[in-house]
Amino acid sequence: MKVALFVTCLVDQLCPNVGMATVEVLERAGCDVTFDERQTCCGQPAFNTGYRKEARKFAERFIEIFETSDAEAIVIPSGSCTSMVKHFHEVFEGDAEWRERADRIAAKTHELSSFLVNVLDVDEVGAISNGKATWHDACHGLRDLGVHDEPRRLLNKVDGLEFVEMENADVCCGFGGTFSVKFPEISAGILDNKIEMIEKSGADTVVACDASCLMQIAGRLSRISSRVQVKHIAEILASQE
Amino acid sequence: MMHSSSHSNARSSIFASIRENLAKSEPFNEEHQEAKSEPRTGVLFVETNTSEVFRESLEMVGAKCTFVENEIEAADRLRSIVGDRSATEIIVSDSELVHRIVNAAGINAIQDASRDELFSSAIGITSAQWAIAETGTLVLESGAERHRLASLVPPVHVCIVTTSSIRQSMAEILKLMDPDANRAITFVTGASRTSDIELTLAIGVHGPGELYVVVIKDQ
Amino acid sequence: MSTTHATSETFDRNARAALADPVLHGALRNLADSFVVRRRNAIASAGDWEDLRERARSIKDETLLHLDEYLERFTENAEKAGSTIHWARDGKEACEIVLGLVRAQNANMVVKAKSMAGEEIHLNEALEAAGIEPVETDLGEWIIQLAGETPSHIVVPAIHKTKQQIADLFVEKVGIEKTDNVDVLTQTARRILRQRFAEAQVGISGVNFGVAETGTILILENEGNIRLTTSLTKTHIAVMGIEKVIPKFADLDVFLKLLPRSGTGQRLTAYQSLITGVKNNADDIGPDELHIVMLDNGRSRMLAHPLTRQSLACIRCGACLNACPVYQQIGGHAYGSVYPGPIGAVITPQLFGLSKAKQLPYASSLCGACREVCPVKIDIPALLLHLRSEIAEGSTRESQPTRKLGESIAFRMYSRIWSRSGTYALSIRAARLAQRFVARNGKIGKVSGMLALLVPPLGAWTERRDAPVVAPKSFREMWREKKK
Repeated sequence: MKVALFVTCLVDQLCPNVGMATVEVLERAGCDVTFDERQTCCGQPAFNTGYRKEARKFAERFIEIFETSDAEAIVIPSGSCTSMVKHFHEVFEGDAEWRERADRIAAKTHELSSFLVNVLDVDEVGAISNGKATWHDACHGLRDLGVHDEPRRLLNKVDGLEFVEMENADVCCGFGGTFSVKFPEISAGILDNKIEMIEKSGADTVVACDASCLMQIAGRLSRISSRVQVKHIAEILASQE
Repeated sequence: MMHSSSHSNARSSIFASIRENLAKSEPFNEEHQEAKSEPRTGVLFVETNTSEVFRESLEMVGAKCTFVENEIEAADRLRSIVGDRSATEIIVSDSELVHRIVNAAGINAIQDASRDELFSSAIGITSAQWAIAETGTLVLESGAERHRLASLVPPVHVCIVTTSSIRQSMAEILKLMDPDANRAITFVTGASRTSDIELTLAIGVHGPGELYVVVIKDQ
Repeated sequence: MSTTHATSETFDRNARAALADPVLHGALRNLADSFVVRRRNAIASAGDWEDLRERARSIKDETLLHLDEYLERFTENAEKAGSTIHWARDGKEACEIVLGLVRAQNANMVVKAKSMAGEEIHLNEALEAAGIEPVETDLGEWIIQLAGETPSHIVVPAIHKTKQQIADLFVEKVGIEKTDNVDVLTQTARRILRQRFAEAQVGISGVNFGVAETGTILILENEGNIRLTTSLTKTHIAVMGIEKVIPKFADLDVFLKLLPRSGTGQRLTAYQSLITGVKNNADDIGPDELHIVMLDNGRSRMLAHPLTRQSLACIRCGACLNACPVYQQIGGHAYGSVYPGPIGAVITPQLFGLSKAKQLPYASSLCGACREVCPVKIDIPALLLHLRSEIAEGSTRESQPTRKLGESIAFRMYSRIWSRSGTYALSIRAARLAQRFVARNGKIGKVSGMLALLVPPLGAWTERRDAPVVAPKSFREMWREKKK
């Protein structure tokens, strides 16, 4: 299947290896991956802070770029950015033509783990890893897209990896985009609870499908010199060692 | 008496505001369409016998429930609950069923208690017009019995019901209610309770701390 | 004791103070652990929960779309049963009506049952100013009143206090001996408030639901103080938000399944009082007069938009507070409003003005836990986003502009630079150069001093956690190499 990758700005700049791992996993699952270099950001920071006009600019650009692609699906290694694409129609209030274009694009856009399991019907991608991993449900993936079982199925099929559930896996990590900048102390308080649950689970790796949550969680784990590692699900699935 | 000009001004300006704002709003095309069917309720109890379900529900909310065969047995049960309390401590509603059983039990009790008697009483005995099995709820209708205070003010409430008054669900009960004839309908489920201090359950804060239910099997 | 309360305008400062309060933290953890679990267990006994939520919402939608008609029907039927209906455009009018009614009874004291609408209009302050003593009778509300505080939760008003604090308060205010036994504290309240009930001529309550079909008001509770308030007194005054009306008596079934389960995790609260007008026989028990004060206070305005209209479906269960990670951190007082938590963050700015509460819509990570637990399916995150856009665009219906200049410039720049790949790539290169001043070992540690002042987000972010650095090679560069 021909797949267009939207890699997200965070992955592009902060953890490009996650992007490469996403390509690797998709190719292993039999996809022909394309990447349009004109892409930048989905505009979620503007949308979530209330700047709809600014967000619309990003949405228009996203739609225009991906309309030129003949790929059957757009895949994003982030629940949050995928959810933004699903919300695009809201920035086009009262503009029927753009709304329709936004809906068409949204219909073929998928978060990575959901794409593998629900579209390709694949839950085994030949990954080999070790250690003990736990899963953090990123809020938008879980509550906007309904992604819950998919990553767990994928992680359970990784050869050599032990999967454990943490308590409150579905509770927010406290990132929330500009929320973490406007109210850094509240954000850090929520994060502390998440860190406590991660450490309590006994896992040596915490996995998610959102670079933003992972950045928030990794930032605290690094500050307290925790032994727990942070990995994007694409990195685990691409792993062969 | 309250139909002053400011009253009618406020009323008409609130209605004007409601209509004006509703007119401004977009046509309503949301997905929440009114459902025509009856609510789908899950199976709460394996037991289909409403009496048995009622008993389980009462136990769950901490009420003490006894099933008896007839009014004689009900009187025995009542005697053991009341123990050796004096008449001034026991108040009753105007229910004929209650009076028969109280008399059969040889208990002296006060009907139409004064405020002082009410506040110093130890036990209130009433009946209930209906009961709801799946929640263990007693339904008190003000038009049928004067039990509004006897069921509330004393620290102990004894309620006598018959099996034929038990219905399975709240939905069935609501259909039976006539709020015009019964200006105060009270649903009672267990004893008075609160979790206001550290979410710790405490029983008997303003209403009765103990609820006894005596269920008489109808022939 | 201080009687000045936190306001919504200083949310950030209030929140910081709350975070620094270890006692509050313990209480809030208790709330999350216990109510969240109780709710989860209780909804399992409700049959098809999603079906119930859908029904409740459709009943509310239908009512709100024809609110004028249902209000007419409700008040007509209530009057037919002997209620007296009053109309209040705002809190001040509502307080004046209540004061007039209390004065007409020559009462210098009233017993009050917990009412959010009463809190909203600051009824206690109005009564006190008029020389009438309001006696709160709900245990939590009474504690709050003794302490001179405001409620911090819709359902459990004194959730922020420990039993030690409450015991100390009782020792000081009502002269009991020090105890940490909750039953003793509870019985103390019973004993003292019984005397007040015995004296009271006038009782004031709220309303959970008003049934248009019959003119009935329904009030739920666990303690019995509402029953005492509404059956021992001669005059019962009920303050009712105009959105509380529902069409049919049978509709109560759905709400009686949803509200207790969502609020306290019970199948049903201990008591429901369904009151229809006044007694129809003079020698029956109960008040001679029932006055229902219909309160608008900004509600009708919310009907204008399908999104804001959703806020009027709220049945005040408090489930969204319990589920909210932000509320769990800071409690209710930080919101500076009678309505705290996620639903408060959307209702407060709408009721009292966006410019007075412009931080509240941002006080959420938009995690959606509130929407997930809401028994009437209010899309709170969507409402928060809607209010944020009103703030960002500088709401027109406000006297004070809400727009933040620095922020709006930043987002305009972000959209100019980042929506094009050329300028986007340039900005990354610039960031890569700039971070050399702060990055150590591939991360950015605590940033302080001048730099934190120059780039406030970086300072705030790195106070408690490290920040990542821009990778030496971007994904697009790696991709290009792979494709060679």
